[in-house]
Amino acid sequence: MDLRAGDSWGMLACLCTVLWHLPAVPALNRTGDPGPGPSIQKTYDLTRYLEHQLRSLAGTYLNYLGPPFNEPDFNPPRLGAETLPRATVNLDVWRSLNDKLRLTQNYEAYSHLLCYLRGLNRQAATAELRRSLAHFCTSLQGLLGSIAGVMAALGYPLPQPLPGTEPTWAPGPAHSDFLQKMDDFWLLKELQTWLWRSAKDFNRLKKKMQPPAAAVTLHLEARGF
Amino acid sequence: MRSAEDDAKTPEQSFWSNWSSWEEVDVQNSLGHDPLFVFPKDKLVEEGSNVTICYVSRSPQSNISCYLEGVQMQGEQLEPNVTVFNLNHVAFIRETGTNIYCKGDQGDSIKGIVLFVSKVLEEPKEFSCETQDLTTLNCTWDPGSDTGLLKQLSQSYTLFESFSGKKTLCKHKSWCSWEVAPESQEMYNFTLTAENYLRKRSVHLLFNLTHRVHPMAPFSVLFTDVSTTNATMTWKVHSTGNYYTLLCQVKLYGEGEVTQHNVSVEVDGEQLFSGLEPDTEYRAQVRCANANHFWKWSEWTHQNFTTAEAAPSEAPDVWRNVKSVQGHSVVTLFWKPLSKLQANGKILFYNIVIENLDRSSSSKFLSIPAPANGTELNLDQCSYQIHVTAHNSVGTSPASVIIVSGDPGNKEVEEERVKGTEDGFSLSWKPQPGNVTGYIVEWCDRPRGPLCDLQWKSVGPTTTSTVVSSDAFRPGVQYNFRIYGISTERVPYLLEKKTGYSQELAPSDNPQVVMSNLTSRSFTLSWKDYSIESQPSFIQGYHVYLKSKAGQCHSGSEKAVLSDDAVCCKYKIDNPKQKTFVVENLQPESFYEFLVTPYSSVGEGPHGAFTKVTTPDEYSPILIRVILPMVFCILLIMIICYLKSQWMKEKCYPDIPDPYKSSVLSLIKSKENPRLTIMNIKDCVPDSIEVLNKQEGTRKSLTETESSKPTYLYLLPTEESYSGPGPCICFENFTYNQAASDSASCGHVPVAPKAPPSQLALLTSPENLLKALEENYMNSLGEIPAGETSLNYVSQLASAMTGDKFSLPTNPPEPALCSEYKMQMAIPLGLASPPSSGSSSLSSFTLLDEGEHYH
Repeated sequence: MDLRAGDSWGMLACLCTVLWHLPAVPALNRTGDPGPGPSIQKTYDLTRYLEHQLRSLAGTYLNYLGPPFNEPDFNPPRLGAETLPRATVNLDVWRSLNDKLRLTQNYEAYSHLLCYLRGLNRQAATAELRRSLAHFCTSLQGLLGSIAGVMAALGYPLPQPLPGTEPTWAPGPAHSDFLQKMDDFWLLKELQTWLWRSAKDFNRLKKKMQPPAAAVTLHLEARGF
Repeated sequence: MRSAEDDAKTPEQSFWSNWSSWEEVDVQNSLGHDPLFVFPKDKLVEEGSNVTICYVSRSPQSNISCYLEGVQMQGEQLEPNVTVFNLNHVAFIRETGTNIYCKGDQGDSIKGIVLFVSKVLEEPKEFSCETQDLTTLNCTWDPGSDTGLLKQLSQSYTLFESFSGKKTLCKHKSWCSWEVAPESQEMYNFTLTAENYLRKRSVHLLFNLTHRVHPMAPFSVLFTDVSTTNATMTWKVHSTGNYYTLLCQVKLYGEGEVTQHNVSVEVDGEQLFSGLEPDTEYRAQVRCANANHFWKWSEWTHQNFTTAEAAPSEAPDVWRNVKSVQGHSVVTLFWKPLSKLQANGKILFYNIVIENLDRSSSSKFLSIPAPANGTELNLDQCSYQIHVTAHNSVGTSPASVIIVSGDPGNKEVEEERVKGTEDGFSLSWKPQPGNVTGYIVEWCDRPRGPLCDLQWKSVGPTTTSTVVSSDAFRPGVQYNFRIYGISTERVPYLLEKKTGYSQELAPSDNPQVVMSNLTSRSFTLSWKDYSIESQPSFIQGYHVYLKSKAGQCHSGSEKAVLSDDAVCCKYKIDNPKQKTFVVENLQPESFYEFLVTPYSSVGEGPHGAFTKVTTPDEYSPILIRVILPMVFCILLIMIICYLKSQWMKEKCYPDIPDPYKSSVLSLIKSKENPRLTIMNIKDCVPDSIEVLNKQEGTRKSLTETESSKPTYLYLLPTEESYSGPGPCICFENFTYNQAASDSASCGHVPVAPKAPPSQLALLTSPENLLKALEENYMNSLGEIPAGETSLNYVSQLASAMTGDKFSLPTNPPEPALCSEYKMQMAIPLGLASPPSSGSSSLSSFTLLDEGEHYH
């Protein structure tokens, strides 16, 4: 390659041409498909918002149930709430979850929790409480749709509900009112734990989906100089 | 266990069966494998009930704690694994029930129940039914407290009519609709039953439908034929059947009055209102009830209307203020706006007709648009009759007539003082013997303001007193009232003047006092500018406070203690018009402080700053009386002396004759008589001359220190000195000119060869020395030979020798070298002018001639 000093004008013209066509480079084109990143971010934000919203709602509802359910150190054994999806999981297991399984678990958990929560809303005695629960249910429905959107963006199919496993809120005759209150307590507690876990799940997904630092290598052919 | 029949028809007549026999059950075996059980499960009780709770633990060793709403309960242990808790008079806490739970000390087992405590179902109160249209009955009641719980719905209400046997479940807690039977059932017997899970409560109501008619509010309320004083109101009522008559009540509100009318109405109602005020808004309302069997009034239906305008009914209340300005009368007319009742409408303008009474043909017309309440007229000195009328859209008011007389008739009237109160001023005046048509009291609401805000009050001819009150009256402001009588010719004339305060206040400021005529024994105080009219109360006099160190009060004054405990003398001046005061009996050269403050019936002015004064001593005036004329005389003499200075000079100190200008010299010269010697200095032979060095900064030289000691010249003729080639004296003083000292280190002084010894004494003083030198000089000037023994005396009073002096330098008798000695002598004498720098030290005798020595 033989560069002469008199060709500096030519190099400048070439650089300008490259910069002019820079938007056309596919890796830098912002108008293209942004991928699942923004959806994950929105889902993460939504979980944080719901977490904040649930804190207020749970306080009101547990007061409505009365002591000992509204006592801060009340931590009863998880009796009669086996049907609720568990949020707690071993850390290694959680780390080893792949994206699809992680998202599927979230989707299934919120589907069940939303169903239980609607049953809770139907039983609430005060109008104010019903309004708060309905508002929260709407938000939770939005979270569910957001998770479904992320799964669709990543090409994962939505889990199909198994027939006969549709959760119901119809306590049997042997289900006492006290146990019902325990179920309500555990529903709210599990919901809170799921929102914490989801925030971590989507934060992990967000970091995973984040593209590496933009490094554009321009291969300039100096032929003709 | 027992049972009873549940029949709505006979709710009070339930009969219970007998109790069943007891049966024993083995709890341990029937409960299964759970470690803990709490009974009863989810109990629903009424408030105030007694409830027993128990728990059964599978293991008797377990330490079980039970809690009611988070508070641990103390129970009674029936058996090792059975404990009961008795709850008496349980209260309603919340709709979700009262939580009771037990747990073991391990915390792994928790069992609980929810005790639902319901409020006691109340009997419905104020149960009532009525109809508005005879087709639907509306029954209402007060349900009392809600007994709803999470476990139990709220109480339900059932309406049962016994005649028809119909029953309906009410959808609402406090009211229920019942369709009236089309077969025109008149009597109804209702039973309202409230029911919840635990209890039933019922109330009954029997009534005739036509007695429970509550008509709907009338509608289509209209006003027709609305005139200035009358209006007709019409309305319609809802049909409640062809044979019902309604009683309607009509109320009319207007101008603060309420009138009520009762009208019997079948279909349409009508009511005539009369005696109304013109241009007035009225509010009418109507309601109706069943005329035959009154049950309830309907709701009111409101409507407003306004009567028509009419011509103003009263003449405006007019008053005037007359001022004479440069031969003209400036008449300011004022009128009060007509009241709403008088105006009968909106006043649009005021017409003013000015009729000249002296020249009947001359009249003037003015129209002032409302809402003006006055105008200003410029009239001449004639008498005028002024008519003022108010106009609205309908017509004209009666005219208000006032006469402005050409003669102002401002007779002097004594001003009386009146005492005002918070309610105003109570004024009374003497009745006038002649015919008067009324009286007018005039005053200013704001006497201190520029606009005065003239007010007046008209009273009838028989009234001789009135109370003038105004919201504008303020404490501490003097108000002046003038009472006029109105003659039958409508000419107002001043009767009396009154002045007063609504509330007197203590004087707020003290007069500005000027002190004069200060002597050692007295001084005069005056406060001529102090206006007693503008004070917040009637000034009754003044107090003069005088502080002195002596603290003694003379006659005419009394001791007073001020608020700051200072003691002073107080002089009292009873006459408020006396605005001067002479403070006497003072001590010379003493310090005094004084204060003049006004006083009135409510107090005196503020004790502000005292003015300080010090009396002079007694002799100063006398001295001044002597010294001043003396100084004047001296000044006069000095002025005269200055003006007559030439005369004085001639008389007191004439000019000293100049010897050189003396005529004697010319005489000597003309006669050439050498014998006319002025003075013989032959005997005055100086033996020595002491030359004193005078050090002058400008002439210092390096050799100065060498000549610090005086140089003595031995002038006595000796053989050696005189026999020499010339009489020279050597100087060692090089002060003045180094060059001279270098070039002429010695000087030659011409010395008379035979100076007489008697002359020696003369040389002991510089003056004498100078004289001697002058004489030497004169001798040489006179061309006398040095060796001549006889001397010629020249009188100093001789006439000046003109012309010869200029020839002096031309004939120096001695060599120039000897002149330095002369110069040295001339300086310390101080008689001659200081030698000019540079040449003086080398100057010869010529420099001591008339130019410097004698002038």
